[in-house]
Amino acid sequence: MNAPIKHTADATTVEEGLAIAEAQDKKFNSEMATETAMANTLLTPRFYTTDFEEMDAIDVSSVREDWDNLIDQMVRDPNKGHFKKNEDWDQVDWEGMEPELKKEFIDFLISSCTAEFSGCVLYKEMKRRGNNKDITQLFQLMARDEARHAGFINDALREAGLRVNLGFLTQKKKYTYFRPKFIYYATYLSEKIGYARYITIFRHLEANPEYRFHPIFKWFEEWCNDEFSHGEAFALLMKTDPKLTSGINVYWIKFFLTAVYATMYIRDHQRPAFHKALGVDPDWYAHEVFTKTSKLTEQIYPITLDIEHPRWQRNLERLQKANVDMVGATGINKLIAQVRAGWAFVLLYTIPTKKHATPKSVRLEPVY
Amino acid sequence: MGLLKKEVEHAPCTVEISHKFESLHAHVRFNNGAVIYPGDEVQVQGPEIMAPFGEIVSEEREAKIIRASRLEQLWTRLTGDFEVMELCEFSFSEDARL
Repeated sequence: MNAPIKHTADATTVEEGLAIAEAQDKKFNSEMATETAMANTLLTPRFYTTDFEEMDAIDVSSVREDWDNLIDQMVRDPNKGHFKKNEDWDQVDWEGMEPELKKEFIDFLISSCTAEFSGCVLYKEMKRRGNNKDITQLFQLMARDEARHAGFINDALREAGLRVNLGFLTQKKKYTYFRPKFIYYATYLSEKIGYARYITIFRHLEANPEYRFHPIFKWFEEWCNDEFSHGEAFALLMKTDPKLTSGINVYWIKFFLTAVYATMYIRDHQRPAFHKALGVDPDWYAHEVFTKTSKLTEQIYPITLDIEHPRWQRNLERLQKANVDMVGATGINKLIAQVRAGWAFVLLYTIPTKKHATPKSVRLEPVY
Repeated sequence: MGLLKKEVEHAPCTVEISHKFESLHAHVRFNNGAVIYPGDEVQVQGPEIMAPFGEIVSEEREAKIIRASRLEQLWTRLTGDFEVMELCEFSFSEDARL
């Protein structure tokens, strides 16, 4: 048995830090590499194109004051010093962790890392292809944040003996296409629901620290403030063009709200051990996150979903069960599960929405 | 660009990988200003690239760009939107159970 290796956070000089990292690499190369399933994590980000000319044509002058304040804040980068390990980063007993929990938690870290990484690729591409200074600056700043988050998660993965593999770079990759407005709807919601997810876990663990089985949760508060600002930026972008949040687009907004909430519900129910370890009931968690997200999205969306409607929870559960049944099923059974899932989604989508007037100024502060 | 025919071109590119604690990112930039359109495929030629932990590496490589046919480009424009949910952080995993 090797002596415990010091953590890079304990290093006092760059040389020492590098030496510790090298020692860790040696240890992992010899010991962990045998655990083939564990040793190599292939990141598989996706690559997108969009209508860059349409994005370039965005004019933020109607929200100039709010826009400049937000960009100023992002440039000042109050979270810059936050993503560093300090004495709060406790040693993690990976070997003693229950295998099911370890599997789910690692899946959580990898999917988060991939998402941050994909966000970084997307935002960077927009920055590079655009000519509108307001837009390119925003995307540059968001790419910076995403890369920083990915680096932080990567470090947690390294501690668990996992090495990210960027092999996708030299593999053939196809670029798909999204309309700009779909990027706004999806990423806006993704950032806001991301904030609600992180802050809900953070507050829960603040009140119940005995459930905090990994130190990364201590960093969620500032982390989610980045997500919050990104969401604010997309809200301002949508505010520049009232068409994006009216008429037929309201049906798109409803679609994205329903799909994003339903996806989160299904996904979280795939990680029972993870939620149990956190002391969180996934149904309570989903409801809490949807409530917060709905409140936040009132800043720009003219509708919110009626998550208290009797059809809501019942059909979420049906959708989730159909999704479980779909896996491994073949032929007619698979088809039946797909139809059940589709029908549950239709029943969710057709629940009447709550309508409200949106405020004149969209800007919000993180208050949860 | 043909209606059905794919064309292949090669473009010099710069690959930058940061494998630092402060930033994990990887970007490919085409040095000749080549632009990627919907449905195109890109492959950076040569062996796998990875920066050692704590470092940023930048390499000059050649990228093979397989241009989508006109039909494929149209198809990607029409159907790409269906995949937009991938942009969500907690997108679907392959399996319903881990």
